[in-house]
This record gives sequence, C-alpha cells and structure tokens, in this order.
Amino acid sequence: MNIADGVQVVSFAVLALMMLGAALGVVLLNNIVYSAFLLGLVFISISGLYILLNAGFVAAAQVLIYVGAVNVLILFGIMLVNKRQPFAPVRSAWLSKVATAVVCLGIFALLGTMVLATPWQLSTEAIAGDGALVKIGLHFFSDFLLPFELASVLLLMALIGAIVLARREYLPDELEEETVLTLPERPRELTSSGSRSNP
Amino acid sequence: MLSLLIWGPLFGTALIALLPAAVMTPARARQIALVVAAGVLLWTGYLVMQFDPNLPGLQFRESLSWVDSLGLTYQLGVDGLSLPLIVINSLLVLMALVATDLNLTRPRLYYSLVLILEAGVAGAFVAQNLLLFFLFYEVELIPLYLMIAIWGGAKRGYAATKFLIYTAISGVLMLAAFFGLSFLSGSHSFDYDGLQAQALPMATQLVLLITLVVAFGIKIPLVPFHTWLPDAHVEAPTPASVLLAGVLLKLGTYGLLKFGFGLFPEAWQLIAPGLAVVAVINVLYGSFVAIAQTDMKKIVAYSSVGHMGYVILASAAATPLALMGAIAQMISHGLISALLFLLVGVVYSKTGTRDVTVLRGLLAPECGMPLIGSLMIVGVMASAGIPGMVGFIAEFIVYRASFPVFPIQTILSMLGTGLTAVYFLNLVNRVFFGRMTESLAQLPRIAWRDRIPSIVMVVLVIFLGLQPDWLVHWSKSTTLALSEVNRTATALMLPDSEP
Amino acid sequence: MDFATLAAQLNAGTILPEGIVITTLLVVLVGDLIVGRSSNRWTPYVAIAGLLGAIVALYYQWDLSDPISFLGSFNSDALSIVFRGIIALSAAVTVLMSIRYVEQSGTSLAEFIVILMTATVGGMFLAGADELVTIYVALETLSISSYLLTGYMKRDPRSNEAALKYLLIGAASSAIFLYGVSLLYGLSGGETRLSVITTNIAANNVDQSIGVVIALVFVIAGIAFKIAAVPFHQWTPDVYEGSPTPVVAFLSVGSKAAGFVLAVRLLVSAFPLVSEQWHFVLTALALLSMILGNVVALAQTSMKRLLAYSSIGQAGFVMIGLIIGTEAGYASMIFYLLVYLFMNLGGFACVILFSLRTGTDEISEYSGLYQKDPLLTLALSICLLSLGGIPPLAGFFGKLYLFWAGWQAGAYWLVLVGLMTSVVSIYYYIRVVKMMVVKEADEMSESVKNYPASDWNLEGMRPLQVSLIVTLVATSLAGILSNPLFALANGSVEKTPLLQSSLNTAQTALVDQSVATSSTPAPL
Repeated sequence: MNIADGVQVVSFAVLALMMLGAALGVVLLNNIVYSAFLLGLVFISISGLYILLNAGFVAAAQVLIYVGAVNVLILFGIMLVNKRQPFAPVRSAWLSKVATAVVCLGIFALLGTMVLATPWQLSTEAIAGDGALVKIGLHFFSDFLLPFELASVLLLMALIGAIVLARREYLPDELEEETVLTLPERPRELTSSGSRSNP
Repeated sequence: MLSLLIWGPLFGTALIALLPAAVMTPARARQIALVVAAGVLLWTGYLVMQFDPNLPGLQFRESLSWVDSLGLTYQLGVDGLSLPLIVINSLLVLMALVATDLNLTRPRLYYSLVLILEAGVAGAFVAQNLLLFFLFYEVELIPLYLMIAIWGGAKRGYAATKFLIYTAISGVLMLAAFFGLSFLSGSHSFDYDGLQAQALPMATQLVLLITLVVAFGIKIPLVPFHTWLPDAHVEAPTPASVLLAGVLLKLGTYGLLKFGFGLFPEAWQLIAPGLAVVAVINVLYGSFVAIAQTDMKKIVAYSSVGHMGYVILASAAATPLALMGAIAQMISHGLISALLFLLVGVVYSKTGTRDVTVLRGLLAPECGMPLIGSLMIVGVMASAGIPGMVGFIAEFIVYRASFPVFPIQTILSMLGTGLTAVYFLNLVNRVFFGRMTESLAQLPRIAWRDRIPSIVMVVLVIFLGLQPDWLVHWSKSTTLALSEVNRTATALMLPDSEP
Repeated sequence: MDFATLAAQLNAGTILPEGIVITTLLVVLVGDLIVGRSSNRWTPYVAIAGLLGAIVALYYQWDLSDPISFLGSFNSDALSIVFRGIIALSAAVTVLMSIRYVEQSGTSLAEFIVILMTATVGGMFLAGADELVTIYVALETLSISSYLLTGYMKRDPRSNEAALKYLLIGAASSAIFLYGVSLLYGLSGGETRLSVITTNIAANNVDQSIGVVIALVFVIAGIAFKIAAVPFHQWTPDVYEGSPTPVVAFLSVGSKAAGFVLAVRLLVSAFPLVSEQWHFVLTALALLSMILGNVVALAQTSMKRLLAYSSIGQAGFVMIGLIIGTEAGYASMIFYLLVYLFMNLGGFACVILFSLRTGTDEISEYSGLYQKDPLLTLALSICLLSLGGIPPLAGFFGKLYLFWAGWQAGAYWLVLVGLMTSVVSIYYYIRVVKMMVVKEADEMSESVKNYPASDWNLEGMRPLQVSLIVTLVATSLAGILSNPLFALANGSVEKTPLLQSSLNTAQTALVDQSVATSSTPAPL
C-alpha cells in the first residue's frame, strides 16, 4: 500500500464515519436546528466522497446546491417558523422507535447484502477526472437534451408555483380580515402589486 | 323486423324523456307510452301471423356485426321457445301501462322506465348472441330497480337493493359461464349457433352448466336463492309486480332452457334428477309458505315460486312433450300471476290493505267489488288447475310428460296443485266471502281502467284453456328439435357409460 | 458530431405535440402577465385550443416511420400516442370544468391553467420517455405540478392538508422509485436507455441477482403510488377530498393514465428477466385494489371520497389488462382508460356543478336532486352507472373487454374477483343514484331545497355545460358505437414494436420452456 492509497483509505473512513454520525444525529436529535446543521455536515461529507471518486465537479455542485441552497433554505424555514410548540409525549413511543429501527436495519441489511452479492459491472471507460465538465456538457446537448430541456419547464413551473403559494390573494371582501393576519409594517402598495397576477 | 320490438319502445322512451316538460304533460306521456306499447303488441301480433310454426329453427333472423373484437354481434332471431314469451311481454307491458295509476308521481320517468324494461326483455328473448343476451339481461336491471325503489311500498329501498344485488350476481355468474363456454371450447365466438359445448370435457361442462343453473336459478327463483322475490313483489307497485312475475321470471327459465339445456344437452342429463328434486322443493316450499302468509301479495308471490317449480320439473324431464309443457306453463303462469297481481293491486288501492285477516266480504254486490271478486275467483281457479282454464292444460302437460321420467318427483309436485287450492281458497274465502266489515263499506269506485286488463287476462286464460292448441302449436317443432339434440346426446353418452 | 447531423439525429418532430402545449402554456402565462386579470376571458380557450392542437398533431404522428428521437430518450410509438392523447384530452376537459370553479374560489385562473398544462406536459413526456433520466424528470414534472395544483386553494385548510400529504408521500415514493432506477443503472453497467438495459443485465450475468428484484420492487412502489394501487393508496382519499375538484378529475384520469403507460413501458422493456416476479406482485396489487377499493367505498359519505375509492377499484380493473400481457390485454387496458376518461370526468363535472351550486360534496345532500335539476341527475346517474358497468353505457363495454381478455388469457381468479367486486361497485354507485332519483320531495336535503335555478349564462358556466354534455354523450354512445375506439386500442398495440416483441418473447419463451433448459438466455 503506497501513501496515496493510505491517504485514500483513511479519508474514506473519516468521511464515512462523519457522514454516518451526522446522519444519525439528524434523525435522533430533538432540536430541529441541530438537525438542520448536521444535515449540512452530511452533504459536505458526501461531497468529500465524490472528491475521493475523482468527481470534482459533482462534489462542487453538491456543496453549492445542497449545502448552499437546500440546507440554507431549510434553516430559513426553521427560523421563520420559530413557534415553539411542546409536543405531547406519545405513550409507548419507544415501541414505534424500536420498530422503526428494526425496519431500517432490515432494509440496510438487505441492501448491503445486495450490494455485496451483485457482481457489479465496472465501466471500462477512462475516468473523466477534470474533463467531466466538458463531458457533462456534451451529454446535456446530445443524448440528454430532452430531460435537460424538460427540466427548464419544470423549473419555470416550480417558480410560478412558489409565487402562487407565497403571494397574498387580493380579495376585496376579505381585505379587513386579511390585514389582521399580515405584518403591520408591510406597505400597502406591495399588497396590491401582489394581487395582480404578475410573478 | 325483430329490431322494432327493441327500438320501438326505446324510441318511445326518448320521446317521453327528452321532449320539454311543457309539451310532455303527464297525460301525454301516458298516451305516448300506451300508443307505443299497443304498437309493439300489434307488431308482435303481425310477427305471430308471419311465424311458421312448422319450422324448427330460428325465424326472422337479423345479423349485423357490432363489436368484432369482443365477438359481440347483433344477432336476433325467434323460435317456438321465445315467440310465446315475446307475446306475453308485449301484452303484459300494455296491460301494466293501462293499469297504472293516473295520479302517480313522476309520470315521465315511470313511463320511460317501463318502455326501457320492455325493450330490454324483448331484446333478451330475441338475442342469439350470448353477450348480447347478457347485455339485455343487465339492461332490465336498473329500470326495475328504480320502479321498485321509487313507486314501491314502505320497505321499498330494502327490497329494491336486494333485487339489484341478487340479479347483478346472477348476471356476473352468467357472464363467467359464457366466457368459460366460449374460450374453453376454443371457438372464441359468442354466437349461439357457433358454440360447440359438447366438445368440452364432461367435468368442465358440468361446472359451466351448474354456474348457469345458479345464475338463472336466482332469477327463476330456485329455492335457496329465492329470498329476493317475495320482498320485491310485496314492495313493488302493481305494474312492476305484474311485469316481474309475468315476464322477468321467465327470463330465468328461458335462459335455462336456451343456454343450459340447449348448449349442454349431455351434462343436462346428469343434473336433471337433481334439478327435478329442486323443482319439487320449489313447489312444496312455495306452497307451504304461501299457506302461512296473511299478505295477499305474499301469497301470490310464493305461489309464483311454487308454480315456477313446474317449469323446472318439465325442463328437467326434457322430452318433447315436457318441453312443450314447460313453455305452456311459462305462458300460463305469466297470464295467471299477472292477473292475480293486477287484482290484488286493485283491492289494495281501493281498500288500502292487503291483509287477509282484515278484509272481508268484498264480493258484496252493493258496496263491494263484485266484478273484481269474480275475476279473482276465476284467476284462483285457473291457478289451482281447474279444467277449462289454461292452468289445467299447462300443468296437465307437465305432469303427463314428467311422470315417465321422474315418477316420484311428479307425484310430489302434484301435491302442490292441491296446496294451491288450499291457500287460494283460503284467500278467496276470507277476502271476498263473509260479512263485510263496516270500515270497508265506503269503497271508492273502480274505474274501467282497473278492470280492463284483468278482463283481458281472464278472457285469455279461459280461451287458451278451451283451445289449448293455440298455446302449444307454436312451439311444437322447436321442442321437437331441441329434444332431438338431447336424444342424440343421450345416444352418444350411452356407449360411454357402458364400459 | 457537428450540428447538422445532430439536428437530424434528434428527430425533434416527434415532440411537436408537447411543443404545442408548452408554447400555449407560455402564451397563457405571458398573456396574463401583460393583460392582467381581464385575460381570464380568453386564456382558458387558448389553453384548450392548444391541447386540442396537440391531439391533432398526435393524430398525424400515428404512422410515424421512425418514432425514436433524441438519441433514444423519447419513443413516440403508437402506445405513447394513445396515452398522450388521453392525457391531453383529460387536461382539456379539466380546463373546461375548472374555469368557473377557480373563479368562484377567488384564485387566479391563468396560473392554475399554466400549472395544469405543465402537469400535462410532464405526463405526455412520461408516456413516451424511453430512458431513465427522461422518465424521472418527466415524472417529477408531473408530480410537482400535481402537488401545486392540490394545494392551489391555499386558504382552504383541507387543500393545504391534502397538498402536504400528497407532497410528503409523493416525495418518499419518488425517492424509492429513484433508488430502484439507480440500481437498474448500476446493474446494466451504466446504461439509461430502457431498450439496452435488459441486454446489458443479461450480458453482465446479473440477471439472477437479488439486485434486479429489489430494483423491481422499488420501481413498482413508485408506479403504484401514481396509479393509487393498494397498498400505496393511502394518500388518495385525503388528497381527493381536500383538493380542488377539477384537480382531482385530472389526477384520477390524466395522472393515472401516465402511471399506467409508465408501468407498461418500464416493466415490459426493462424487467422481462423477472417477469414472473412482477406479474406476481402486480396480481397481488390488482386483487387488493379491486377488493379494498370497492369494499371501502361502500362506507363513504363524501362524494369525493367515494370517487377516490372507486378510482382505486377501477385501477385494479385496469391492471388486469396489464398483468395478462396479451395483445387483447393491452388493448383492453387502453380501451378501458379511454372510456374511463369520459365517464370519470363526466362524474367529476357533475360533482363540480353540484358543489358550485350548493357548496357541499356530501352524498346525503344529493337527496331529491331529481326534482330540482333533472339534467344534472341524468348526467351523474349515467356516469356512475357507466362506472359500475351497466349496459349499454361505455363502462360496460370497457369492463366486458377487460374481463374477456382476462378470461381468454386464463386469469380466472382475477376475472372472478373483478366480476364480484363490480357487483359491489354497482351497489355503492346506485346508492348515489337512489339518493338523487328515489327520494321524494319531502325528503329533500337542505342544500337541494335551496337549490338555485340553473343559470348557464353566468361566466364560466357554459364551458362547464359543454364539458358535461360532451362527457355525457361520449359515455352514453362510446359503448354502442365503440368500434373506432376498439380499432384505436387494438391498432396502437399492433403498431407498437415494444409490445409486439414482448408478445413474441412470451410465445417463444413458452416454446423454449418446453424444448430447452432454462440455461439458455431468453431471446429478446
């Protein structure tokens, strides 16, 4: 084992442990803010694994999208809805927890066996390495053109949908009732501009 | 030609249902329905004239392709088995319409439904394709359900739903048997002529035939499956009872003869003794239960169960004469039970009760209903098999033909005739004779509208009793041909069974 | 690869119908943006014109010589054309139904139509997608738009609840689906085109691996969620009850049809090696769906929940056609979906009309409706009876064909269970009919007593009336004059190479079994 292999093994072990530990933390911790931050750690560990696999672009994308966008959005969501509501303790909750654990371990064992038992076919192509970006671009504009373009429709629609869900409706007869619910410092002009259907 | 029997009433339905309410007053709806039904009856009469009773096969055939992928073709035809039933259908629908109350609620819906019912039943009797038969068999379901559910008595919802469930189960069993018949025999066609059931192994044939017997047995009704019938009859309005007893039950026996006996003559031989036993049970059970009833409609309903037993008995015997007896009994039962239901309906609508223990002395000439009472007595006599009326002829043929085949069963069934006399005499004695109670003294007048259908029925009952040839000569060739198939089947079977 | 050859190889003409829909969607969006709220008067009709235009474009693609396009991403074969037509048509009818409903609820119409059309585009691409990435993206386009539509009435807490449930369960199921798909990708050595996956799996000698079975189970879980088959149906009643009714109409027809075509394509082309297993799993799903859907429907008091359970049961019937996998089986499935389109949408049009006029969906509130609105009663009765399979309505022929095909293929138990459960279904459908027709004037419900006079001249009511009449006429006549539909269904199966080759494989496999040992790889 030369030194590069050694480093690889050690970093893999560290990353894997980090990822598993953080993932368990996400599930088991009661404070949702901790969970959200630990989720970020999981994403970062995964991107580390991508780097080990020579997929630098995917790793970067992972960090950008999942940590930079998704996780931050989750944190925003948590902080905006900072209503603390004590949950009534569920009786014999340990039972359902044990059941969940058994099911999860069972699925893990099944998938683990499957991964080990299957004679996976390794790709014979040379590893793209830093050329991955170019290759991905080529694929996007040749054989994956259709899903790539379709994704743009999907994103457009998601954008519209988000606006539809987020904006306030203009309903003349319910205006008084609505103002009670809105923030008092919100200027009135915004309300009416939101009423028109322009996104 | 036969299509007119189906499409005529449907055209009438469309006319009644779709024209705007301003044009289609209740009176006009009734007129249109009557005109259409009378037209259909006239057309049926014309068909009877044109019908050649000496030909054994189907006549007035019509054949159009419809849905080729399914093997569903529009094949119509009529033979000596279905012709009398078509006549009964056209006649009873007209009578039921005449007997309908003038002030009934939702007249347009009512008349539309009756005409759809007529079309469905006529279609089932003339269909020569199995799937087409099934289609018409199911078409008749919803109109009758609605008739019972809307214009019925106090427990109408329960009775209607029961009727629906039983008939729907009967329908799916039938469909399963038809599928099995067509696909297992490898013909992949549903045309009646093209089916070769005999090619199947006997075990398969038996399974299919028994499925069919259960399917039609629900409709007939055979005894373990009969419980829907008394409920439906009691709750149904009079015209629906008339059609149910007079025509719809015949769909069961017709189907049994046409598809059970006609397609599986060999297997029929095997189950015939069992069927004869079931017939006896039907006869005795229906009669004994009828004795215990106090509701006039229930008595007539259970007498229906009993009398349909004769048809089964004759079908089981399956000699040419027995088949003729089965057809004759179907017609006779159709006329007599329709007559009795009509009369009970009149009594009920005038007195407000059908309870035998309450009604007394309705035959009183001054303030009673003498004509209705007299007609009732004729109907009861016919039902009990008094000579000179159609009931006697039919039952006599049935017994005469079944005795050589199933002597014990026939003798037991004859008991049923005696029991019929018991419960009907009991009914007539209580309701029409004796001293009229005060509460019944102020009866409303009986319109001719109520009397005419019963009178027509009585005339027919007596006429066919005196001139029985008119009853049977349509079916002679057909029954001969049918039992010919049977005989060859038996002949084919004998060498098999010997070793 | 230079641009000209690439453009030629893309064969982009095949997605012309989807292109039309997307263009219309943009026109509606931008038009509404520029004109403002008054655009409500024309945007729905533009949308309908676009969807009908897409159907016309599909018609001209029927005889396409080279259906494969986008280098294998998309397969515009006859099967996909029929299903894309079904999806587009259901969207068009849904738009007709939704105009008044959306106006009444005080939300904006243009966005609703845009999201609905995006869902349609997703479904249409899903119908032709021949490659895993496209399948997934199309599936998500359909799903995410459906979540949005479900929650569109955002001031209604029921709608919010429905959207949240749908989103959570949907996201979980699509994650499972994605896991299954990724296993397929791995097992086939990095291949995403469906047509090549099986070859590669067989060539890599992993066809006996447990991995294929796990992939299969995961994929079926994702599909069963889309078609709402038991036990992946739990979302259905709540979502159907809470969502805006036109959305439910689309979900129960368009979205379901997309799920079925995905099932056909994925199972037939990617899993022939484990065909016994998937037939077994689907048989179990079909039996459970027919029994549970129809039996639970008996106890419902809300019309929308009733239709939800009935649609679960109907999905079970349709699955019979898929399971038996004969030519008649596929054709009967397509035929049933075609007539189901009309009768189910007709039923929902009636429910929408009733709830617009009375503001309720309870079945008991329908009592005595015949006295006040015979047309609505007639239409709803006919659609429900057709769903129950009463002749001579379209549903009867659909069921007859399904059972016919099932029996022909020897699936006796499936057919018998189907027959029995359809008797059960007649019972609960007729309960509604009875409620409307049988009840006397004094048994009328409060909402029927206060029933407004039918006024079709209100804005947005005409389209609803048109959709009602169209579906009513189609439901009544599509059975009697069903030959063109039969020809369409049979033709689409005949002209689809995928299904034909699977039929041939099944035949040769039968021969193989009797002749040779199983060590020889199955012919493809």
